[in-house]
Amino acid sequence: MAGPALAVLGLPFAAFVLLAGVPPLRRRGRLAGALSIAAVAGALGVALDLWRRGIRVEARWTWIPADGGPVASVGVLVDELSAAMLVLVTGISFLVQVYSLSYLDAEPPPALGRYYAYQALFAFSMLGLVLAPGFLQMFVFWELVGLCSYLLIGYWYARPAAARAAVKAFWVTKLGDLGFVVGIVMLWGATGTFDFAPLFALAARGGLPAEGLGAILLLVYLGAVGKSAQVPLHVWLPDAMEGPTPVSALIHAATMVTAGVFLVTRAMPLFALAPDVLALVGWVGAITAFLAATMACVEDDIKRVLAYSTVSQLGYMMAAAGAGAPEAGFGHLLTHGVFKALLFLAAGAVIHALGTNDIFRMGGLFGAMWQTGTAFVVGSLALAGVWPLAGFFSKEAVLAGVLAGGRPGPFLLLAVTTFLTAFYMFRVVFVAFLGRPHPGAHPHEAPVLMTGPLWVLIALTVGLGARAAGDGTAAAHGPGWLAPLSLGLAAAGVLLAWAMYRRQAPAALRLAGLLAPLAFVARKRYGLDALYAAAYRGAILGLSLVVGWVDRYVVDGLVNLWSALTLRGGDLLRRVQSGRAQDYVYGVAFGVLVLFLWAQWVMR
Amino acid sequence: MTAEAVAFWAVAGVLVAASLGVVLTPNLFHAVLYLAAALVATGVVFLLLAAPFLFGVQLLLYAGGVVTILVFAIMLTERLAGERITQTSRWIANGAVLAAAMLVGVLGFLGRAPQAPPAPAAPDRTVDVARALTGPFALPLELLGALLVAALMGAAYFARPED
Amino acid sequence: MGLHAYLGLAAVVFAVGLFGVLTRRNAIGILLGIELMLNAVNINLAAFTRFHGDPTGLVFALFTIAITVAEVGVGLAIVIAIFRVRRTVEADHLTLLRG
Repeated sequence: MAGPALAVLGLPFAAFVLLAGVPPLRRRGRLAGALSIAAVAGALGVALDLWRRGIRVEARWTWIPADGGPVASVGVLVDELSAAMLVLVTGISFLVQVYSLSYLDAEPPPALGRYYAYQALFAFSMLGLVLAPGFLQMFVFWELVGLCSYLLIGYWYARPAAARAAVKAFWVTKLGDLGFVVGIVMLWGATGTFDFAPLFALAARGGLPAEGLGAILLLVYLGAVGKSAQVPLHVWLPDAMEGPTPVSALIHAATMVTAGVFLVTRAMPLFALAPDVLALVGWVGAITAFLAATMACVEDDIKRVLAYSTVSQLGYMMAAAGAGAPEAGFGHLLTHGVFKALLFLAAGAVIHALGTNDIFRMGGLFGAMWQTGTAFVVGSLALAGVWPLAGFFSKEAVLAGVLAGGRPGPFLLLAVTTFLTAFYMFRVVFVAFLGRPHPGAHPHEAPVLMTGPLWVLIALTVGLGARAAGDGTAAAHGPGWLAPLSLGLAAAGVLLAWAMYRRQAPAALRLAGLLAPLAFVARKRYGLDALYAAAYRGAILGLSLVVGWVDRYVVDGLVNLWSALTLRGGDLLRRVQSGRAQDYVYGVAFGVLVLFLWAQWVMR
Repeated sequence: MTAEAVAFWAVAGVLVAASLGVVLTPNLFHAVLYLAAALVATGVVFLLLAAPFLFGVQLLLYAGGVVTILVFAIMLTERLAGERITQTSRWIANGAVLAAAMLVGVLGFLGRAPQAPPAPAAPDRTVDVARALTGPFALPLELLGALLVAALMGAAYFARPED
Repeated sequence: MGLHAYLGLAAVVFAVGLFGVLTRRNAIGILLGIELMLNAVNINLAAFTRFHGDPTGLVFALFTIAITVAEVGVGLAIVIAIFRVRRTVEADHLTLLRG
């Protein structure tokens, strides 16, 4: 029964092995792409089948055997959670890889082959993470996914900014991963297993130790903080935009960054036993959502706006999980994956056509690029939470969940964030897609390999929303005033953006002027980046100073001391060699005396 | 007190006094003369020890030959220097201590050894010495001759005139 | 007089000779001290022959005397040679072997 799940895993892995191990194949760029796309398409087919049929499977094989049962095991776990993620990962992967054929058409074939090898590896890693039946396998694939992120952010490794961004992503997430691994090892120490099924059974029975559990889960949550870009470990995600846009769409919108939310959702039976940690998760999520939204309001780079938006929406998901409504958070994860990928791919089409990311160098793009423009507007509407698109339902579910969980503070923050989300997205729409075209820009519509995925995603966004609307479950979400409230906030945000950027209304501009200090602080990213850089530099340089001092004065000092002692000793001993025969006779006589003494007293 | 004992103590006193004179007197020439006296006294000791042959050899070679050589050497170095070479000593205290320690050490050994019974009057060993020299010690005797030739040549080389 | 008396006498002369070797500044003075020490050894050897009946002691004494004569000859030749070059026979100044 584990066959299909293993096939989903195995196809991208096979593609990666082929591309990595057969350089002639990889050097033929488009051929490598075709191979990887075929593998992912196959995996998508199997995943859809698994999901549609509602199959549940759990299979485990021993990895590290030991006397009292295996220390570690690997396997696959297919349930509703992982089946949905399988479809999401393979689906978005497939669309992004097709899109990349066109987006990266200017790349030399060997580089393109490298790109697709990394993409195949990433698909394999993310799928392995999703299918993990236990913390250990999840952690192994967690790290693999981080590696792929590094490789793909730094795809254009000759660009210093890209290389730095890749390293920064790696370091920051590594900090979180440290907590993760310490947490799961401590958990293993307390319970003797890494796997979810036994752990959840223990939790249900009440067999988990209560005191240490909070600390352990906090450490595990740290991994999620890093990977899902929660404050304060969010600083890597905006810089990760140095990678190609399809990579941003796949990894930093839909899949890798959601691994943290996935972790919390998957381990909810354990987290439910530590309400303090959940409260922290909720608060951190809400604060992240709010801060990231403020930073998105002042960004001029279209991809950075989308990056901060992703951070903000991840905060939404975490807030829902922390409030005890993980299904709402996961639902938002799925819908967000679709329309954020749509937004990124549309932005990519714009960047590919114009060669710039700055929205103030764009304008009136709707005219020349109506397909892309439609995609972007649909995505923005979904993100802002406008009925009847998918985003409205999932966001409302999150708000309802947070309210129902008894968390008024986070709820307030999330509500304000809804307003800000609509504002910053439509700021981009009004500045870049409507209005007068920028003098230096020469936009043209994207080729079909890029617009194709866009239309697929548009259809998915609309379709998911229609399904949710038709489901009738919309009515079950939250108190009656919630839906109008969220719609109203979204509308207010759109209105303000229209007023500021389309009409240039003086009242709106005065409001902007009032908020200028906040804007300034937001532009400086609340000093977090600078803080990290200073701390990092301080720690490393400080350590190297200490080590250097020890090396110069202690280690070298010992050696020098030894040599000085030898020299001094030599000088002293040299005086014995006076060159005068009489002194030597002294020595001989003295030695004979010693012999006498020895013979008289020792030999007796 | 037997006659031998009286003789012994007398010669011993002369010998020790002469030796002290050798090492203590400032004048080098006087030191050589004191040495001559000491060597003669030693020869008398040899007589007391029933070794008249040795007494003869001592007088001939030591008191005669060596002292002569020493006198010549002093005269040569004195003349070359153009002034009387005076004799001063250094580190007397150290040397005295060390010498005294050596004496104590040896006497200590002697003290522990059991007293030998007084030996009977010894016969003259000269014939035995002669037999030994031409018997087991023949080879060393020849080598001694070679040594003396070598020493002679060496001394002649060292003391050759400068040119 | 017993063996010990002669050995004791020899020990005294030896110590005096040693004192001379250690303290004399003049090279020839040092040689004189060496002479005394060798003398003392000869007394020892003769005493052993007298009291143990073995003529080997006398033979050794003879050899010692002969070798000492050779040694004095060569030694003084060296002293004269040094004197010619260095214009001094003070042992303190002869430090060519200094390390």
